[in-house]
Amino acid sequence: VPGTTWTYDLGVAKVEAIEHGDRKVFSVAAFNRGLADWVRRLPTVWVEGEISELRRQERWQTVFFTLKDVDSDACVEAALPRRRFDALRLDLANGERVHVYGRAEVWPQKGELRLQVLSIERFGLGAHLAALERLKQKLAAEGLFAAERKRSLPRLPRRVGLVTGNDAAAKRDVIASVTARFPPARLLVAETRVQGPHAAAEIARALQGVAAQPGVDVIVLARGGGSFEDLLPFSDERLVRAVVACPVPVVSAVGHEQDTPLCDLAADVRASTPTAAARLVVPDFAELGEALERRRAALRRGSRAVLDRRRERLERDAERLRRGGRLLLERRRTALEQSAGRLRALSPRATLTRGYAIVRSDSGVVREAAALSTGERVNVELAKGGFAANVDEVRP
Amino acid sequence: MTEERLTFEQAEDELRKIVERLESGDVGIDEAIALWEHGEALYVICRERLDSAEGKVEELAERVQAAKPSA
Repeated sequence: VPGTTWTYDLGVAKVEAIEHGDRKVFSVAAFNRGLADWVRRLPTVWVEGEISELRRQERWQTVFFTLKDVDSDACVEAALPRRRFDALRLDLANGERVHVYGRAEVWPQKGELRLQVLSIERFGLGAHLAALERLKQKLAAEGLFAAERKRSLPRLPRRVGLVTGNDAAAKRDVIASVTARFPPARLLVAETRVQGPHAAAEIARALQGVAAQPGVDVIVLARGGGSFEDLLPFSDERLVRAVVACPVPVVSAVGHEQDTPLCDLAADVRASTPTAAARLVVPDFAELGEALERRRAALRRGSRAVLDRRRERLERDAERLRRGGRLLLERRRTALEQSAGRLRALSPRATLTRGYAIVRSDSGVVREAAALSTGERVNVELAKGGFAANVDEVRP
Repeated sequence: MTEERLTFEQAEDELRKIVERLESGDVGIDEAIALWEHGEALYVICRERLDSAEGKVEELAERVQAAKPSA
């Protein structure tokens, strides 16, 4: 081959070597490039390990971490674009076990080998499930999910607390549903992180913070749907205990119908959707107004009924009084007539029929002859009729 | 009266009890009138509470949020 330049065809790029006598010499850059090109052809694989030295900064385009074996000192540097890392929404922290999908790559500048990451999954879903089940049994045994613990919700809360993630949808849905159903509702919203290793403690703190505000009579804990892992903070023991210890009733509206994070079991009521949560925490405004009007109508009807009943009773009494009066009068008249009869029976007229007569002078009934004087005129009354007479002789 | 301090719920509850008492019929006239007047006063309280209430959405001032990764 003429000339002094050698070329290795590595399929992807050309690496040039310089010839010194019978020696082919590569520059460092060419060596690295050659190595990088060769390594790039290795297959993409899953690697299991523990995350350490996680380095993520807003101004960096790349996130770095060291992936190491749990039971040996073996480790490898790993990197992935920050956008991809954030899009995974894993909220990873040092010490977490993961499966990393990626391939080996050499950084041509330094000749360092690293694992170029395409995707990351938290490792050990089965382990999570088992731990969750154990926790559930433990908390149930303590009676934290018992039906007797459930408190009834206020019919008309002065303020509704809302603890929600900064994923806007759940927050927006609850606020919209509550205010649509009850426009005068007063809501107090606390946003927290709802994902990742710090979420549970933050949500618990938010719950306490909202409950401590004056007038908050009920709290809705809301989060939209998500993966099993997304909802894990809502099964965290700290949060479950915070829900149980919350001084006001808690409505849990976390995930979808089929999800049952432990906070659902600890909450006083579980709502499957934000709309359902709204229906639980505030009354229907129009219905409330109508109910109030109905009650007022009942109030008027009730008091009128009492007055009507009293009036009727009064009328009945008056009627009896009038009837009673007439009866009394009649009875008196009869008695009077009886008395008159008896009176008549006792009168002197009865005596006259036996042949007696009554003599009357100007000074009344004559009872003794001495009361008369000769020549005086007297009237004599008989049983039937009478006559006048002159006194001829007085015989005292 | 202490009625200004009643919550809507308490006033409405009281109103319901008055209606029930009246509907039981076991009430004298003077009492019925007194109950009615009291009931009307409670109604006014409830109505005013409903009509004057204004909706409000506040954010809890103290953000319970640590530095969070931006997506």
